[in-house]
Amino acid sequence: MAAQYILNGFVSGMILALPAVALTLVYGILKFPNFASGAMLTAGAYLALIFNVYFGMSLLWAAIVGSVIFAFIAVGIDQAVFRQLRDRTSITLLVCSMGVSFVLENIARFIFGNGARSYDLAIARPKHFLGLRINNEQIITAVTVIAAMIVVYLILRHTALGRAMRAVADNPSLAAARGIRRESIVRWTWGITGCLTAVAGVLAGMDRAIDPLLGWNYIVSTFAAAILGGLGNPVGAVIGALVVGVVEETSTLFMPPNYRQIVSFAAIALLLILRPQGLFGVARIKK
Amino acid sequence: MTAPILLRTKDIAAGYGGGDIISNISVDVEEGKIFTVIGPNGSGKSTFIKVLAGLLRARVGGITIKEEQIAPLAAPERVAKGIAYVPQEYNVFANLTIDENLRLSTEFLKRDRRATGEQRERVLGMFPEIATRLKLRAGYLSGGQRQMLAFACAMMAAPVVLLLDEPSAGLSPKFVTEIFDRIKAVNETGLTVVMIEQNVKEALRIADTVLVLVGGATRLFVPASEIGSTHDLHKLFLG
Amino acid sequence: MVSYLVTILSLVAIISILGLALNLQWGLCGMVNFGIAGFFALGAYTAALVALAGGGTFLATLCAAIVCSIACAIVALVSLRLSDEYLAILTLGFGEVVRLVVLNEEWLTHGSLGLPGIPRPFWNWIPEDQYEYWFLGLLGVVILLLYLALERLLRSPFGRAIRAVREDDVVAATLGKDVVKLRVKVFALGGVIIGIAGAFHSFYMTYIDPSQFSAILTAYVFMAVIAGGRGSNSGLLLGSVGLMAVIEGTRFLKDFLNVFDATQLSAIRLILIGLGLILLLIFRPQGCFAEYRLKVKKPAPEPRKTAAQTKTSTT
Repeated sequence: MAAQYILNGFVSGMILALPAVALTLVYGILKFPNFASGAMLTAGAYLALIFNVYFGMSLLWAAIVGSVIFAFIAVGIDQAVFRQLRDRTSITLLVCSMGVSFVLENIARFIFGNGARSYDLAIARPKHFLGLRINNEQIITAVTVIAAMIVVYLILRHTALGRAMRAVADNPSLAAARGIRRESIVRWTWGITGCLTAVAGVLAGMDRAIDPLLGWNYIVSTFAAAILGGLGNPVGAVIGALVVGVVEETSTLFMPPNYRQIVSFAAIALLLILRPQGLFGVARIKK
Repeated sequence: MTAPILLRTKDIAAGYGGGDIISNISVDVEEGKIFTVIGPNGSGKSTFIKVLAGLLRARVGGITIKEEQIAPLAAPERVAKGIAYVPQEYNVFANLTIDENLRLSTEFLKRDRRATGEQRERVLGMFPEIATRLKLRAGYLSGGQRQMLAFACAMMAAPVVLLLDEPSAGLSPKFVTEIFDRIKAVNETGLTVVMIEQNVKEALRIADTVLVLVGGATRLFVPASEIGSTHDLHKLFLG
Repeated sequence: MVSYLVTILSLVAIISILGLALNLQWGLCGMVNFGIAGFFALGAYTAALVALAGGGTFLATLCAAIVCSIACAIVALVSLRLSDEYLAILTLGFGEVVRLVVLNEEWLTHGSLGLPGIPRPFWNWIPEDQYEYWFLGLLGVVILLLYLALERLLRSPFGRAIRAVREDDVVAATLGKDVVKLRVKVFALGGVIIGIAGAFHSFYMTYIDPSQFSAILTAYVFMAVIAGGRGSNSGLLLGSVGLMAVIEGTRFLKDFLNVFDATQLSAIRLILIGLGLILLLIFRPQGCFAEYRLKVKKPAPEPRKTAAQTKTSTT
């Protein structure tokens, strides 16, 4: 019985891993927490919805097309908005990302209204394995997230781009002195993180109904995961997401399921008191 | 016999937004020489070298390399022109391995400046202490070793001029002598060096030309041989 | 028409009180409060429950102020030694927590059904048809008192200490522990003001439900503060009026935009708020009214940290 909760938590943690990694990568390079993360997830979900329901593509293709398009949209948002604020404080960027969040969420609301939608996906019977129930969506989620994480890992560790991303996060002026153009790296980062977030939107949309608040409902959990892993640390974000997923899921044993974000909030508060740098990160201390 | 002028600045003035820290700096750096900038704390040495590196934009004035105007270029483009900068602190990527630090030094340069295997071997030969632990994260190196790595990374790009920001800062005395010996050795292969330094004694030991900066202005610009005999540095430094 | 104006001004007044709180917490002290909507809801529900239980509106306001202030103090304490982003995250999370609790703890808050029949201050003393004007007047008095109190605070040693801390990291380091206490006090004081705003919101509306406290409210208040010039209370009041004028102005456009349904019009309005916030931050971060005061940066000392890690005190 407990194992079922852990399994479910693990899988929901996997969905969380994508926006958590996205959040932490953007934080590493641009030094601000992107509060538009939730709305971007929502946007990704709706984009795939358009291609799936209105253009008749299979969900797989809709997700691929949607996330590629959203990668460009994310870069576009950066160029139009955040780029104008490169030399400002992280607080300004943060407040601005709130504005972006409202805009994205309400564009979705404007086009689709408040009602819940769902993808055109064949219903499949859940499978049973070692006494645990695993449904089709969970398998798809697991495969997708694992594949995505492998790709991100390979990029970060084994490509020049990945090295440059880590370098710019570590020391932007030194990176410039080594010939790395920061703007180019920033654009790539948004492209990659936009893609990740959009994919997460599809996975979330399979798990829950798609409505304008889809991503917003993940935001506290996303922050909890990223902070747990240490802001700026992608591996940490994945681990953090899995932990948050499991903790949230097991909390439903004695709390209403709507209170998942409260659990995450408590986790954030506890972390900030005890170990703000999370498992692997470095906390930014204010004197 | 003077060597051709490699790097020239003309009436450079720069600051961080609250007014100029340095002004009216016009110097010529001869090819293949070691040009050192000395001066008391706050005299603008660091500002000057950042302007040369492209990390700080000069408010007015021009900078040329071999007669080519580089003042409008940002730091990444200057690397392509042959400038290599070694900052004082935080001069390596602490979260990356030594190997990754070295690779990054040339991965983003134009094809003709990318390091060949030979180049890498040559640089590692100059800095054997880092050659043996390529997979170690740079953050775990000691101060002196990091300085060597930073130096090596700058060399990887086969630069024409090396900009060094207080190379001896924070190093133990043993390392100080060693680093200046390395700088001299590297210079003898034909590389032009511009360095700013607090350690006047060691700097003058290897320098060819000296610029004394006090309060952001040029107080003296002479061959190193003339210092000591003809000029009283103490008086200059203290205004 | 007059009645409509009174309604609008009353809403402006309540937003302004929230703005005074944000100006204190963020404008003066640099502490980003993304949970304003949540603390506001906390104050409103506290006041409503106390008043409905027969405690009277004065006690209700007092309770709201105390509860909010304690909540603010606790939240501030958790993240105080860390850079401001953590406080932003924490307050955002807190706002969500309040929203969820209000929605789900139906035994207390009636969930989405809300709390009707909230009593109003001096209700029995004023003729019913004049009450709206009178209430607006009361709000005006409250704003005036708060404004004066805050201006007084700014010029007191306490206020100077806060400002010194905000401008200069080194001073902050020297003052050490006192900085922590100072910041908690300021945040808690902001909580008092938010609680008062919440109470008056409950009295004004007489019926509250969770939909009145959505996150967009936080954006409204930020916009009012930024438009007025962060830190300037007089600017804030102008900013609130201006903001409300623009927002309400879009209601009149409804006649031209009747191709859109209610949800869409509401979405348009919210998009405009989001865009407004973005544009303000990009083009007029100093506010619409102040002349741009160039913050003269001291010549930077030999860098202690990389550029990415340095906090500056400008927007």
